[in-house]
Amino acid sequence: MLWKMIRGVLYHQRGKMLLIAFTIALGASLATGMLNVMLDVGDKVNQELKTYGANITVKPKDSSLLSEIYEVGDGEELNASYLSEKDLPKLKTIFWAFNIVDFTPFLEAGVSLPSGHTVKAVGTWFNHHLSLPTGEDLDAGIASMRSWWDITEGSWLDESKEGAEDTVMAGTLLAGQEGWQVGDKIHLVGSREERDVTLTGIYDAGGDEDMGLFAPLDLIQALTDREDKVSSVEVSALTTPDNDLARRAARNPAALSSRDYETWYCTAYVSAICYQIQEAIPGSAASAVRQVADSEGAILEKTQLLMILITVLSLIGAALGISNLVTASVMERSKEIGLLKAIGARDLSITGVILVEILFTALIGSVAGYFVGFGFAQLIGLTVFDSAIEMKPGVIPIVAGLIFLVTMAGSLPAIRMVLRLRPAEVLHGGQ
Amino acid sequence: MTKRKMFLRMITASLLRRRSRMLIALLSIAVGATILSGLVTIYIDVPRQMGAQFRSYGANMIILPGEEGSLTGAVLEEAMQVIPSENIVGATPYRYVRLDMPSRQQSFTTAGTDFDEVRKTSPYFSVEGEYPQNRREIMVGKEVAETIGVRLGSSIELSYKPLASFEGEASADWVPGAALLGSSEGFNEAVLNVSAVLDEEGKISEIEVDALSQTENIGSLVGTDKAFLDQFLGKSLPLTLGEDVDALSGATISSQAVVDALNSSRSRENARLSENKEHYTVAGILSTGGEEEAYIYMSLEDLTRLTQEEIMDVAELSVSASAEELEGYAANIQEEYPALTARLVKRLAKSEASVLSKLQALVFLVTAVVLALTLICVSTTMMAVVSERRREIGLRKALGASDGSIRHEFLGEGMFLGGLGGLLGGLLGFAFAQMVSVHVFGSSITFQPLLLPITIIVSMAISAVSCQLPIKKAVAIDPAIVLKGE
Repeated sequence: MLWKMIRGVLYHQRGKMLLIAFTIALGASLATGMLNVMLDVGDKVNQELKTYGANITVKPKDSSLLSEIYEVGDGEELNASYLSEKDLPKLKTIFWAFNIVDFTPFLEAGVSLPSGHTVKAVGTWFNHHLSLPTGEDLDAGIASMRSWWDITEGSWLDESKEGAEDTVMAGTLLAGQEGWQVGDKIHLVGSREERDVTLTGIYDAGGDEDMGLFAPLDLIQALTDREDKVSSVEVSALTTPDNDLARRAARNPAALSSRDYETWYCTAYVSAICYQIQEAIPGSAASAVRQVADSEGAILEKTQLLMILITVLSLIGAALGISNLVTASVMERSKEIGLLKAIGARDLSITGVILVEILFTALIGSVAGYFVGFGFAQLIGLTVFDSAIEMKPGVIPIVAGLIFLVTMAGSLPAIRMVLRLRPAEVLHGGQ
Repeated sequence: MTKRKMFLRMITASLLRRRSRMLIALLSIAVGATILSGLVTIYIDVPRQMGAQFRSYGANMIILPGEEGSLTGAVLEEAMQVIPSENIVGATPYRYVRLDMPSRQQSFTTAGTDFDEVRKTSPYFSVEGEYPQNRREIMVGKEVAETIGVRLGSSIELSYKPLASFEGEASADWVPGAALLGSSEGFNEAVLNVSAVLDEEGKISEIEVDALSQTENIGSLVGTDKAFLDQFLGKSLPLTLGEDVDALSGATISSQAVVDALNSSRSRENARLSENKEHYTVAGILSTGGEEEAYIYMSLEDLTRLTQEEIMDVAELSVSASAEELEGYAANIQEEYPALTARLVKRLAKSEASVLSKLQALVFLVTAVVLALTLICVSTTMMAVVSERRREIGLRKALGASDGSIRHEFLGEGMFLGGLGGLLGGLLGFAFAQMVSVHVFGSSITFQPLLLPITIIVSMAISAVSCQLPIKKAVAIDPAIVLKGE
């Protein structure tokens, strides 16, 4: 009998029920879309903020102030200590390996040019291909870590090309001073070897780097007899904004209680990642680049908070919209309810029938709404960040619970109000 | 009773008598209007607010003295008027000099600056202890602190050796038997002093080099390496490095400085070499993870007093503006003050533009989706409320009301509700935006006066449009059928 009644309502009043289902679908899609976007926005914005470059630098532990300010071209063997290039893939074996987006080593040297000038040449990876022990393949290097460089002539040095080890890139000021063009052969003299190299690109970095050369790491190592040595590594990692615990840990991880230590170690705080890098690479000291790490944290927090508040507003909007409509639709059926009462139906069973009808409609509406909402989230993700928004399973129970609560909250008071009316009055049409 | 009075009475009566339903409609419009006005206010203000957040990355413009001309506080202040003052987050002057630490025989790059402004342009500086507030307080970089082993509250002595200044041709003083003094800038612009004595033939018979300001164990060796110094003996001035004497291996720049100092040396009477020493207290230790850790920071006043020179090398500006605006400001400064060079910190300006535009697009799309869905939601509720009154419409038609007048009346009612809901929502929305702004960005939001009438008009339009469809349907049906309830 119940089924028959519900079927009857759904069939005979399909216009009205469709309207309710449609509105619920709208509300559900709004909730789904916003929740999905909100939960993923942190990762997405974090990814975008990587354009600011590395947030961690790794240096040899005993590198001191003095070895850093050596005289260009001179004395670089003095006081110098290095990391081993062979150790670098270990960066991708730490606990937070997945959060390490990119990294690149540096090795500086003073090289003499044919014009007699001595310039700072930096050996690095451009798009260095790594095959990790974990079976993962990875292209690491500065091409993606210097997004603000303009290549004014030529192109980025491509390490996968043949003969790439004998090519270099030059800063625009240096190229201007030496009168170089892309394709020119340059004779470089290092402390051990001399090489003829080809200029593949000229960059405008808007800083000191414009007066220097960037070359493949192998080339600089060979020129200065420092095989396998790197003087520093820049790491770009996705991190969680620092909180009080992270700040305490950064000062001295050993002073934490074992429980705090575990929480800290297993959260992607920049200090925790630094600590793990130091564990993985022998003789290294990793430190956060405060300018990038702190600002990232601030911006991420603000963006997330903004999205949370907008989401809350739209959830309230969706909730009120749905419960409004449900209330309206129940009140509209006062005549029918009056009739049911007049022919002797109990209040409880009337309430039951109406609730089942509405919840059934809500179910259909919210399932449709969930998928539409997920579509909205993807639309936002693809348009804004060029990448899909991850589907968070946690959203489903939240949306389901919300719709259920809102529908109940919208219909129950209305049903009770209508039930309180006397059937004769309702049927008569006066209220 | 005039027609207009009757119309008003019908609307008010309907609103009053059908309180609960009208309340539902009003609530739904108000919610829609709140979302509209709240989100749009946030959307308009987000670039400004977010832009301010991005300033935590630090200075995005630097002003340097040009080819000729120097940078002073007055010139900087004048040049900064090109940029609207509300956009300037901070402007920090810097002057870099090498100061010696006599007790450790080392020298460090020292920056003279304004710490109040540093807090604004470099909010990422993490200082253990405090920023210096009083005279003769300094902040040292973490690396410096570790190298020389100072702690908070330690006192260190710093000295400044200016370049000796001379008048007239130096060679006039190079007479036999003269005792000469000279100085020159060596590595990192650190000053090195040389004293020499000429014999009766005018050749160098004694030489002493004070190279403590140079890098320890590299440049400083020019003062102690006997083989290097012995080369000078018996030579006559001026000298050329590489011909008369060979550079000390590993310290070309310092060697060149020794030669330069000799070539510009004057007799002891004509030379003015002075050294200024002061004691400073370490008020803070700076860690940034960058090269700033290798510097010592002191107030510009302290550095001016120490060096007796009031100039600055560079000013860092943190300006909240888009990349194009920044470029415009830099070009204007360049044009109006040819003695200055204004440059953008490309890394920040470029990255900020790309990230900020994404965030803006995000808020825009979110606003658009939420608004579209909410407004549809509002109109479905309005439709439900109106279609419920089919019987009433039928009755009126049966009593002889024309289709036009019925439509007119419902429209009036809908627009009244829309207007009221819009006003309510517009104000609530602003309150919401204000709350978001205070919570998220810690600053109040600008009220958009135009938005309130827009919200009201949109709400009225939405409710009018959503009334139309069900009325049209109801009016089209034969009153008898409607009244019968089928």
